[in-house]
Amino acid sequence: MIYLADAVNTVVLAKGLVVGIGFIGPAIGIGMIGSNYMQAIGRNPEVSKYFGQALVIIAIIELFALLAFASIFII
Amino acid sequence: MIPLQLTSFIANSGPTIYIAPLDIFSIKHIAITNAIFYGWICSLILIVFLIMIARKLTIKPKAGLVQIVEYSVTFISNLVESSFNDKSRGHKYIPFFVTLFFFILLNNWLGLIPGVGSAITFHHYPLLRPFTADFNATLAAGLVTMTYVYGASIREVGLRAYIGHFFIGSPLNPLYLIIGLVEFLTDLTRVLSLSIRLFLNITVGEIIIAVFAYLGHVAAPLTTTPFVMLELFVGALQAYIFVILSVSYLANNVNNITGQQNLTKKSIPETMKLQSETM
Repeated sequence: MIYLADAVNTVVLAKGLVVGIGFIGPAIGIGMIGSNYMQAIGRNPEVSKYFGQALVIIAIIELFALLAFASIFII
Repeated sequence: MIPLQLTSFIANSGPTIYIAPLDIFSIKHIAITNAIFYGWICSLILIVFLIMIARKLTIKPKAGLVQIVEYSVTFISNLVESSFNDKSRGHKYIPFFVTLFFFILLNNWLGLIPGVGSAITFHHYPLLRPFTADFNATLAAGLVTMTYVYGASIREVGLRAYIGHFFIGSPLNPLYLIIGLVEFLTDLTRVLSLSIRLFLNITVGEIIIAVFAYLGHVAAPLTTTPFVMLELFVGALQAYIFVILSVSYLANNVNNITGQQNLTKKSIPETMKLQSETM
């Protein structure tokens, strides 16, 4: 017979869930920004001068991923 | 029956990560943390550096560090000036934003030199810590910046017009009142979002470098090199984002509210005046 652990540490479980579920949204958002940027370049290659703008928007989205990462140390 | 014991390979000691700054000494009853201490050092370096560069400016460009700093100053001042519809109005806000950009940039980058962190300890605490890796510091920077932005937009436009721009109709209508209050709330959350973004980016960078320095015990310089390069890029990008967002808040306020004011003034073109007179 196999005895598993008696008590489950729910804090560690919560940390894992927060990080795991919290990174899905920003990753999808940044992927969408990237794909639309590439599509726009495909139609009109002059748009590549707006790469700085795309990075700014990515940093705005990145805020939510960092908030999920920072809650590891708060929980 | 042999119970299968789940043995876990727990490391006896993990990397020492500091999320918050720690007190070094106190002046009378105010505790000075290691981030504040390094912030003083960085501000001194910033003042000395910029004054020395300003003395070496010549009309004919010479290659060197002066040219790089001059390029960044021109970049930010073009950004500030071009955000306003009326360029002469935006001209007086350039010095603040250029200084803010260099302040945040230098504080981010000077946190990457070897020696800042757990290398130099003072009573088992790290003596130096980047100033922007302290939430109090970025909150202060955000508060000062947004006070400047809102104060400047109120001074440009007038207090009555500024409060009136939140409400799209008359504030006595309950729907418009709630919309106006929510708009006012977004103004307050801008302070938090600016400061939290800067603080988290720099602190997470410090944590990543600490973890990878722990993982490569002897080869720590090799394993942390790509992450220090990433942090160089992230530090510059976050400084640029802080400045571009605060400039866009100021420019949007000034442009939109003066646009509204110009519509309601007596600047109706001649043909429309004739039409309204005939009707």
